[in-house]
Amino acid sequence: MSIKGKCAIIGYGETEFAKSKDSAGRSNYTEQCNAAILAIEDAGLNKSDIDGLISICPLDQKSSWTMDLVEYLQLYPKFLDNLYFGGASGNAGILYAAAAINSGLCSNVLLVGGSVMDAKQAYEHGLENSVDFERDFDTIYGPMIDNSAYALIKQRYKYEFNATEEQFARVVINARYHASRFPNALLKNLVTVEDVLNSRIICDPMHLYEIVMPCTGGCALILTSFERAKCSKNKPVYLLGGGQAFDRGMWTPAYGSNPSITSSPVKQAAKQAFDMSGLKITDMDFVQLYDCFTITVIISLEDIGCCEKGQGAEFVEKTDLTYKGTLPLNTDGGQLGRGQPYGACHFMHTVEAARQLMGRAGQLQVKDTKFGLVNGNGGSMANECTLILGNEIP
Amino acid sequence: MKTMLLENEYKKPLPKILPETEKYWQAARRHELILQRCKTCGQIMYFPRIVCFKCLSDDIEWFKSKGYGTIYSYTIIHYQIAHKSFEPDVPYIYAIIELDEGVRMISNVTNIDPLKVKIGMRVKVTFEDVTDEVSIPKFEPS
Repeated sequence: MSIKGKCAIIGYGETEFAKSKDSAGRSNYTEQCNAAILAIEDAGLNKSDIDGLISICPLDQKSSWTMDLVEYLQLYPKFLDNLYFGGASGNAGILYAAAAINSGLCSNVLLVGGSVMDAKQAYEHGLENSVDFERDFDTIYGPMIDNSAYALIKQRYKYEFNATEEQFARVVINARYHASRFPNALLKNLVTVEDVLNSRIICDPMHLYEIVMPCTGGCALILTSFERAKCSKNKPVYLLGGGQAFDRGMWTPAYGSNPSITSSPVKQAAKQAFDMSGLKITDMDFVQLYDCFTITVIISLEDIGCCEKGQGAEFVEKTDLTYKGTLPLNTDGGQLGRGQPYGACHFMHTVEAARQLMGRAGQLQVKDTKFGLVNGNGGSMANECTLILGNEIP
Repeated sequence: MKTMLLENEYKKPLPKILPETEKYWQAARRHELILQRCKTCGQIMYFPRIVCFKCLSDDIEWFKSKGYGTIYSYTIIHYQIAHKSFEPDVPYIYAIIELDEGVRMISNVTNIDPLKVKIGMRVKVTFEDVTDEVSIPKFEPS
């Protein structure tokens, strides 16, 4: 039995994103608690209605974080989970929550992520918490964590498909364009191809502007059943399909069963999601793709079926990806435009999809939108979770 | 004398020698790159594992790699804040090497101007003796 149309997002909340240097008075608790409170209010629920909790453990907290959040907010969940496989965890949490609701384990699940994070903390975490084989067969060679992993993927992609730096820059330009019009975004200044190419090279061929900026922020969502969603004050955003796929460990793209590092498990995840929904890529009114780096977007566009393998760079060059274009992409600016608050970034693309499908996206509203796709990506394109969402059930 | 020793100390991350990787590091100390082969299905593996990831057999043998391969992908690391001990080395090459035996490994490409590195370039293994116990396999143009 499929979970298609059985559950819906009925509310969301986001704290104000802030640069690390402007994060005085903020903590992991302020981000997750405030986002949660905003989402509960937005859904028109009371705290006592929440009987399921999934949260993303901040990198500098213990893995018991979700239980400790129960104590902190005095919640009484019947269903609890703490996911850790990077940026796919948020969408995966929605799938698991939907399965739990649909099987009668709980009714209203709060999903929340967020943290105060600067780049140094994130990297130190990576250094201290690598698994044995990563430490012994990768760390000894001096990786720059995810930056070098994605640089390896981008370098190989350029070699295989003759993609140009100008094409990659288009992803940044689109992100900044939307961010300039989105209230809760940190990188609002518009950029040109030249600006991107002139930004500092961190790990060749990856420029600074192609890399997300770690920041402070929190995001939360409320998922409930189809029946309860019908009584919601917000337009319900139905979960129509979902799929997950994994093909290697967290950080190094060298190993794993996928013969190519320029193909990703997005392909399998998206296929499963589309098959469940009965919809196709051409039915999508927008896509929200995890955009930790430019290359992530280009490979994801190919693997969700927007174009053939190897055509993604040309696709972003020739397609109007703005909210009024032929394929609106990351209509809030995505992480490249808004910043990357660890944990919140697991949910922010899905929050934006819900915002669009509820018709609450203001000046960035995609017209007549019914269906959208969200992809969450973790590790070095190692784990993927795709959702198909809609404000009607086809 | 103690101060002298500290100055020469290797400050970068070192592998921990575990039961399942001990033979690999012992071979590296002898300047040999060894790989695993599953005696049941023939699958070749890098990094060392206790079972074959293809057929899950634990009948695994070690063999010496010829030590040649090609650069599958690489990045020139210009900016390193994750692992400060590598900072003095920038710019340096962090790469995926595809060995002729068919497995891929992460390594560094040394003894070459980083700007001259290309995907597809032929490389051969070389060993850096970093402590009395540990030698790290790296690659240089062949």
